[in-house]
Amino acid sequence: MSPRPLREIADIVRSKNAGPYRITFDILCKEKSNFELIRSSGAITPQSVAKAYGLSVTDISSFFEIDMANAIKITIKRPRAQGSGGEGDMYGCQQHVPLMNMLIPLR
Amino acid sequence: MSGITVLTPTGTLGYGFGDEALARGMSLKPSVIAVDAGSTDPGPHYLGSGKPLVSDVSIKRELTALIQAGRNVGIPVIVGSVGGAGSSVQVDRTAKLVREIAKETGLKLKLATIRSDIPIERAKRAVAAGEVIDFEAGHILTQEALDETVTLVAQMGHEPICAALDAGADVIIAGRACDDSVIAAYPIWKGADPALAIHMGKILECGAFSAEPFAMDVMLGTVHDDSFVLEPGSIKRRASVKSVSAHSLYERENPFKQGGPGHEIDLSECSFEQLSDRQVRVTGAKLSETDDYYVKLEGARLAGYRSISIAGIRCPTTIAALDGILDQLKVRAIEYFAPSPISMQFHVYGRDGVMKELEQEHGLQREVGLVIEVTAATQELAHAACHQISGAMLHHHYEGIINPSGNLAFPYSPSDLDVGPVYEFSAYHLMKVDTPTELFPISIEEL
Repeated sequence: MSPRPLREIADIVRSKNAGPYRITFDILCKEKSNFELIRSSGAITPQSVAKAYGLSVTDISSFFEIDMANAIKITIKRPRAQGSGGEGDMYGCQQHVPLMNMLIPLR
Repeated sequence: MSGITVLTPTGTLGYGFGDEALARGMSLKPSVIAVDAGSTDPGPHYLGSGKPLVSDVSIKRELTALIQAGRNVGIPVIVGSVGGAGSSVQVDRTAKLVREIAKETGLKLKLATIRSDIPIERAKRAVAAGEVIDFEAGHILTQEALDETVTLVAQMGHEPICAALDAGADVIIAGRACDDSVIAAYPIWKGADPALAIHMGKILECGAFSAEPFAMDVMLGTVHDDSFVLEPGSIKRRASVKSVSAHSLYERENPFKQGGPGHEIDLSECSFEQLSDRQVRVTGAKLSETDDYYVKLEGARLAGYRSISIAGIRCPTTIAALDGILDQLKVRAIEYFAPSPISMQFHVYGRDGVMKELEQEHGLQREVGLVIEVTAATQELAHAACHQISGAMLHHHYEGIINPSGNLAFPYSPSDLDVGPVYEFSAYHLMKVDTPTELFPISIEEL
């Protein structure tokens, strides 16, 4: 089967400020099976997310898989402090697209 | 201990709630109404300028409903981070609205205001004593940064709010406070487990954002001995294990460990259980006190004054040449206004205006929106430079130009807009204190 973009498997892919120096991404699934599909594919890792955003892996501040919530959480260091010169997204809420377009290989 | 119920009317005071939801929530006999009114989330402007995030009209309308609801049954109303950033000028502004409400409704009440502004000299002494550490800013706090800071606040924990409750306050208007502390203060004051109360605060502070369908609306939480239970005010919503657990991740980095003033909460053993169709029961939060008590400082500095110009570009030859043109204009403007420094930013919508360096898709653009932004030491200089750039861009000649009559489609005359002072965060650091209440003076008045 051909790979499918994350947005077709997860129910929510979102981005948001977590304080003025971080942007946090959440991938949420209603169904456990979809969460497991994404997790077991190995396609979402700090390395792959960094690559999707043109970042170095050292810019990934943290990465969590949260069984209880069928969720994966990735946090990056903001390219610039919130509201400083060149800010394009004050709430950090429109940064999710490269993540939602990441391809999940299906077996 | 019998359950202690907190009613949180909405995620941010001023953003609304349903009358039906408030009425139904009040019928569940809450012990307190507690709501958050600010955050760093809207950016540094509200901290720096002292301007309110939400209009007085909205704040007064909602505070009137809440104070009336609270006074009817004799329960306190607690508002934290008032005005958006919780600075003294914002505390004063909100307290004035409460006085007007008391006068207009004829309600008698005891008003407590809690300030959270930190004198710059106090913070400088702490920096000199090595009592300030970086949180996430990636740099240390310096004396110079503090000298430039126009407003400095610290996030209070629940303790100053508990002190205001000790004083018998009916309405508490608190400066900058941890979102969860605003919700947790009353249950903790009544003897609830702080771990459960603070965890409940983290979820409840966004109102019915943890319910489905989510909204800025009423949410209730009841703390028991070994758990807390969440339920939306409106019967049109429900709390589900999914909605609550998903919300636990929102706007925070670490879903398992969260630091607060004087403590760290461990959520790794938490469990969520569907208690009834509309209620979720949460257990398992653990709290450990930290050896030293740190509060988070938030400071803003004036970065200058901003003028902007908004224009569209449709010609493919201009779009193709855009980066080179903008680079040239930048160099020319810096030379033209030297030695006065000017800072320029170009937002190219339709290309990478939203994501900037994080944008990885580079397709063909049919048209782009250009926002030219200039920040300078005075509004006059920012305006002059912005017009110099927009005018130069309008008539710029570049290799391959096909339409020499103008490169920019302006929607407005004047083409350049003054948008006022610009603030930046100057402090986002932790400062050690001797006691949880020393920085947060309380004043009480009978209305």
